[in-house]
Amino acid sequence: MSDRDSLIRVQDACIGYGSRKIVSGMDFTIEKGEITALIGENGSGKSTLLKTITKEIPLLGGSIEIDGRDIARLTAHDIARIMAIVMTGAVRTEYFTCYDTVASGRYPYTGRLGRLREEDRQKIEEAMELTGITELADRYVTDISDGQRQLVMLSRAIAQEPMLLILDEPTNFLDIRHKMLFADTVRELAASKDVAVLMSIHELDLVRDMADRVIALKDGAIDSDGPVDILTDEYVKRLFRLE
Amino acid sequence: MSSKRVLAYILLILSIVLLAVLSVMLGTASHDDPSFIIIIKSIRLPRMLAAVILGGALSVSGYLLQVFFGNPIAGPFVLGISNGARLMTALALILLLDRGVHLSSLGLVAASFTGAGIATAAVLMISRRTRRMSVLVLAGVMIGYICSALTDFAITFADDHNIVNLHNWSMGSFSGMNMKGVVISAVLIFTGLIGAVLLKKPIGAYLTGEEYARSVGVNIQLFRFALILVSSLLSATVTAFAGPISFVGVAVPHLMRRLFRTSLPGCMIPACFLGGAAFCLFSDLIARLAFAPTELSISAVTAIFGAPVVIVVLMGRGARYE
Repeated sequence: MSDRDSLIRVQDACIGYGSRKIVSGMDFTIEKGEITALIGENGSGKSTLLKTITKEIPLLGGSIEIDGRDIARLTAHDIARIMAIVMTGAVRTEYFTCYDTVASGRYPYTGRLGRLREEDRQKIEEAMELTGITELADRYVTDISDGQRQLVMLSRAIAQEPMLLILDEPTNFLDIRHKMLFADTVRELAASKDVAVLMSIHELDLVRDMADRVIALKDGAIDSDGPVDILTDEYVKRLFRLE
Repeated sequence: MSSKRVLAYILLILSIVLLAVLSVMLGTASHDDPSFIIIIKSIRLPRMLAAVILGGALSVSGYLLQVFFGNPIAGPFVLGISNGARLMTALALILLLDRGVHLSSLGLVAASFTGAGIATAAVLMISRRTRRMSVLVLAGVMIGYICSALTDFAITFADDHNIVNLHNWSMGSFSGMNMKGVVISAVLIFTGLIGAVLLKKPIGAYLTGEEYARSVGVNIQLFRFALILVSSLLSATVTAFAGPISFVGVAVPHLMRRLFRTSLPGCMIPACFLGGAAFCLFSDLIARLAFAPTELSISAVTAIFGAPVVIVVLMGRGARYE
């Protein structure tokens, strides 16, 4: 892919919490429409990297550029218009509908009082259609299954119209059918809207089905970076110290 | 807006109008009493207006606390905030009365606000250490007891002829209200309500959880600070004028969620205000008339109707939050 299609450019980045460095010397770029899986043991820095990119924690060294802009210069509002997240935990508020949840994804685009315009309603409906949850619109988030709830969270992220979708172990509590459904929807989204996806994930089968590329973290550095084919049995055993 | 919600709003407004008329018309003074008009103008009307304004404010304050803690049984009374406000107000009254200084209404609100702030800070410190709803509420109830005990000490040892008044107020009552108090509290509460409406958008996002709210651009720290500020202004104003009133802040938002079948702030802020107003008008009517001419404290009545609601919420939701 040509250089101008890159969305994230990470150069010599050092990430961690305060004085505790977790991964250093990171170099990689992520292209638009590309699905990248971060793998590695617990504590290897997957979530730390995601939190650094969403600016929940500061970058400790090096630089990260998103869409050509230095991350340090991006405001919370800029970040909200660039990236959306889906995490393991979903919304549990009572008397709160799936539609209300998806509508919260329009936050960066609505006015001071958050009134939804016709355009917003259209985006919300489109997002629900894409994940196939249109018929859940008026149901309460407390009355649907974990799998359906995660699709609602994905719709919410889509309604946010991100260039980058960040997934932090989003499929942890899902049954196999919903894992596949979730993966298919993310693939479709990346392909149809040219959204880049960066995800931290444990299920390697799902990584093989879903991702274009894998970045493996180990011992405070990027251990390998390449297409999903690098996930051979020997490599997985070595990465997760299974021998 | 769905027609069911419009109907629910109309129902609330009609019940407020009905209860307001009853509050002003019913009582021990008879129509041929020469002072009847004066009684209505200077006693019953301000009292009725106080029940509307302060009851509504208390309920909105409770809704905001429930959003803040993600906890359906949070409320200014349950979390000890009303009693914190009461303690500081009582101390300010007693200390200044001792020196012969008369405290203005705004001075009372300032003292009450300080007390609410201190009690809220204590609850916040505890909430950092636990996510369990029952522990948080229990801690709040204990803070309430401590403040209440200290207030009782202060009142017992205070030496003043105004102590009867002070005692009435400290039990919770709308009886001491005059028109000036109504106007001042209306201005403060209107300010608080504007604040709540301005927070409508981030509240909607915050209901999806702190992390998700941050991801759409909510400045979490600023938002949480604003939410507590507005909620404290509302509950402190109520306590300054009417003393601690129990269970309105926790029960009414829950009833309104059931009635309107939503948690969204755009619907809940006006619904809670109207519901709180109706609930307090109704409770005050009972407090005044049930054993007339002896008057009950308003908290005794609100607790009888409000506390069972909390028990129902706890039983229905307990398992999920533990």
